Amino acid sequence: MNVSAVQEFLLAFADDEHLMGQQHTEWIGVAPFLEEDLAFSSIAQDELGHAALLYGLVLELDGIEPSDTAIDDLAFARPGQEYRSCHLAERTTSQWSEALVRHWVYDTFEELRWGLLSESTLPALAAVTTRALREEAFHRRHADALLDELLQAPEARPRIAEALNRIAALIPGLCEPTAGEVAAIAAGVAADSTAGLLAPLTEALGARFGGHVDTGRVEAALSEAGQKATGQGSAGRTRRSKSFQPLMTRMREVLDYDPSAVW
Amino acid sequence: MHVYEVFLKKDGREEFRHAGALEASTEELALLLAREAYARRAEGDRLWLVRRDHVIAAADEFVAPNADKPHRHHDGAAVASRRRAAREASPDSSSSGTGGEALR
Repeated sequence: MNVSAVQEFLLAFADDEHLMGQQHTEWIGVAPFLEEDLAFSSIAQDELGHAALLYGLVLELDGIEPSDTAIDDLAFARPGQEYRSCHLAERTTSQWSEALVRHWVYDTFEELRWGLLSESTLPALAAVTTRALREEAFHRRHADALLDELLQAPEARPRIAEALNRIAALIPGLCEPTAGEVAAIAAGVAADSTAGLLAPLTEALGARFGGHVDTGRVEAALSEAGQKATGQGSAGRTRRSKSFQPLMTRMREVLDYDPSAVW
Repeated sequence: MHVYEVFLKKDGREEFRHAGALEASTEELALLLAREAYARRAEGDRLWLVRRDHVIAAADEFVAPNADKPHRHHDGAAVASRRRAAREASPDSSSSGTGGEALR
């Protein structure tokens, strides 16, 4: 098994989960109502938990004990170019409509993504997958329940449409594989390429939003991505978006007060 | 929007207990939000929701007349003291007796 390639493959998932979890937690105290505040930050904790487990697997492949400190080093202390997050997870938003739409899109994709790992030859990864899929079913149901209501509300529907359009161009990036994915599939760590999830994701987006709002821009972005041959012209998640550094700075704010502090 | 009363039950022989309330626009949202607001730390493994406007509540004055009937609150003290008095009054104080005479 090509260890560093498999690690890169796992890091892409771990980084997405980590950044998404962090961004969701930023709604603590400012979500539109108290119950949602609790629910959304609880979902955020689940995502951070997945990230920690995945970072742990990356460490174990190097024979390193996945201690909290070692996991934190992976999560917070790598240089930007070593992250493999997608730009949707990096994006900063201050609008609840966008956070909610992204929550639905991300978790819909995430459920598909875990589906590629349930038969993994890495037993620890298959075990993490079982747990994660149980939690994801709830995440999706939560996002769906809110959207079911809001897409019927004349005041909310245009805001949802606007949010979907704003993030449309970033959605295909979820399915962008890392260079290491080929080796991960060859070793049976993953069943198939994340690029193959573009089709089911497109279908799910149509079923969720089509008939309620204009999904033209999302469809255009997804079909453009679909037409590109896999990997062609792709940076393999090696480039960071302009939102990344400000996000890291927010995430590291407390850490940076005293980098030598013991937690 | 409706207010839902949340009840939780732990495994075993414990009964459902009132955990709190929340406001939601649908039953599905009420369930999802109740799970995170009240059961995210596994405070219970069974969850009931009851819409507050489905609770049959009695008016205060309907129950109030029962508030000043201390004779319905017998903790046994009154009976015990009368039994004790009956025993002491009995010529054979060592026998437990029925106490029936004193308690009529």
